[in-house]
Amino acid sequence: MHEVEARVELVLAGALGARQVVAWRRDVKGVASGWCRLGEPEQVLPAARALAGLGARLSMVSASLVPAAPNATGREVAYHFDLDGTTLTLTLELPLQGARVPSLTPVYRNADWQEREFRELYDIEVLGHPNPGRLFVDRSLEPALFERLIPYSTFINGASGEKLWRQVQAAQQENPS
Amino acid sequence: MSRTVITLGPRQLGLEEPMYFRVQTEGDRVCGLEVLAGQVHRGMEHLTLKRNFYQNITLLERLCSLCSNSHPSTFCTALEELAGMVIPPRAEYLRAVADEIKRIASHLFNCAVVAHIVGEHTLFRRVMELREIVQQSKETIYGNRMDLAANCIGGVRYDPDAGAIDYLKNQLERLKSPLEELYRVFEDAAVLRAATEGVGVLTREQANEFGVVGPVARAAGIDYDVRKKSPYGAYDRLSFQVAIEGAGDVRARALVRLAEARQAVSLIEQCLDQLPNGPVALASFPEVPAGEVIAKSEAPRGELIYYLKTDGTDLPVRLKWRVPSYPNWAALGEMLKGEPVSRIPLIVNSIDPCISCTDR
Repeated sequence: MHEVEARVELVLAGALGARQVVAWRRDVKGVASGWCRLGEPEQVLPAARALAGLGARLSMVSASLVPAAPNATGREVAYHFDLDGTTLTLTLELPLQGARVPSLTPVYRNADWQEREFRELYDIEVLGHPNPGRLFVDRSLEPALFERLIPYSTFINGASGEKLWRQVQAAQQENPS
Repeated sequence: MSRTVITLGPRQLGLEEPMYFRVQTEGDRVCGLEVLAGQVHRGMEHLTLKRNFYQNITLLERLCSLCSNSHPSTFCTALEELAGMVIPPRAEYLRAVADEIKRIASHLFNCAVVAHIVGEHTLFRRVMELREIVQQSKETIYGNRMDLAANCIGGVRYDPDAGAIDYLKNQLERLKSPLEELYRVFEDAAVLRAATEGVGVLTREQANEFGVVGPVARAAGIDYDVRKKSPYGAYDRLSFQVAIEGAGDVRARALVRLAEARQAVSLIEQCLDQLPNGPVALASFPEVPAGEVIAKSEAPRGELIYYLKTDGTDLPVRLKWRVPSYPNWAALGEMLKGEPVSRIPLIVNSIDPCISCTDR
């Protein structure tokens, strides 16, 4: 095991009180990435603090539906940390309804926008966020609008148009003017 | 002193794309900033889930214009890693050529805007004329001036012959001396120094705190470039020094970009000199298994990171990317603190913000 990988596992074990299983992979250029699933959402805050102590930078946060929509039964949030070129991803598994995670913004200031974004697009509550205003989507819209509303591209595509036209024709046959 | 709140839009700030700002001032000094994003939010991450992997290459190239090659190339890298594909060496070099051509054009555009904002209109024209050499080169090699359509899954979609390579080398030669001169002008010209030195400072500590990337980070002394830290494509065989400055001001950001534009000329030359023979893409595309992967690249504005999750079909389950402008926006408040209102346009443009990328 390389030095960075060993240090990551050590600080995660120290912060979370038990050894975490991190699956390490190397790409064709030898660049490492580590993948770890945390048991409880609350664990991400002490884990982030421990990684900040190692000098890790929060690179990105990815929220997603699992499995893919429209069959989703849950949500996930993946936090991607950079350790001088090595990427560590900590993933939280969350319920579809009532998903909550602690805010990392008190530890990483650049978590601010990332958390506000997944809060409004994925309807995941962020506990303890210092500035929980809307970021991209107007505040008049309910969160997770892409899960509820019909996208314009679907609304105007050929399949919808033909289906709609058949309905119009059927209606005309039933009720000739 | 009384506190005033003013709202500034893209027209007041000389931005090419729409972003609004709520600025708190004390007298003529900035004391607080709120960035109002979302004016061009297109739900693009959601759209990628409705398209197959091939279709997404086209969509992602239209995410923005100045760094348009970085998106499809990084997405393809993610897919190839997940599918266990190793692209031909010639394709690796040609991807680097496309990325570096875009870097020169992007950096020169930003330096031209900085010259324009400080009132150096002759310099603005000179920089844009120089950039035109790069634009013409892109049009000749790729057929387009902005979206190059250079990438495909498993390699690239262009294969320059000896004539095209000679043409490109001649174009690079035309850039060298003017780029040296331009660097000296931004480094030494009294008017530019007065307008940019000590202005919009982001210290190294603040840069670390906000996790900024790219020229904004390197101007503050952070030695981080994805091409060195997480090598991809041909970069592990190319020689270059990471451009670093320490002052963290507008001038330092411009100097980093101009140094990188000069380096990019050298990197393209190295690619063309080392360019191996052989195919430019793999002949077949294996099925992409279920899984998740990270891919990163050094886009003109800094680290671009992609996260791809798949389920064995040809549609992504999740495709997420974080553009370099994203963390750099948040640090803008620190750069503006205590600065006169009149300097806001210059400082905002010095982070070379991409709003189209940020909003998605």
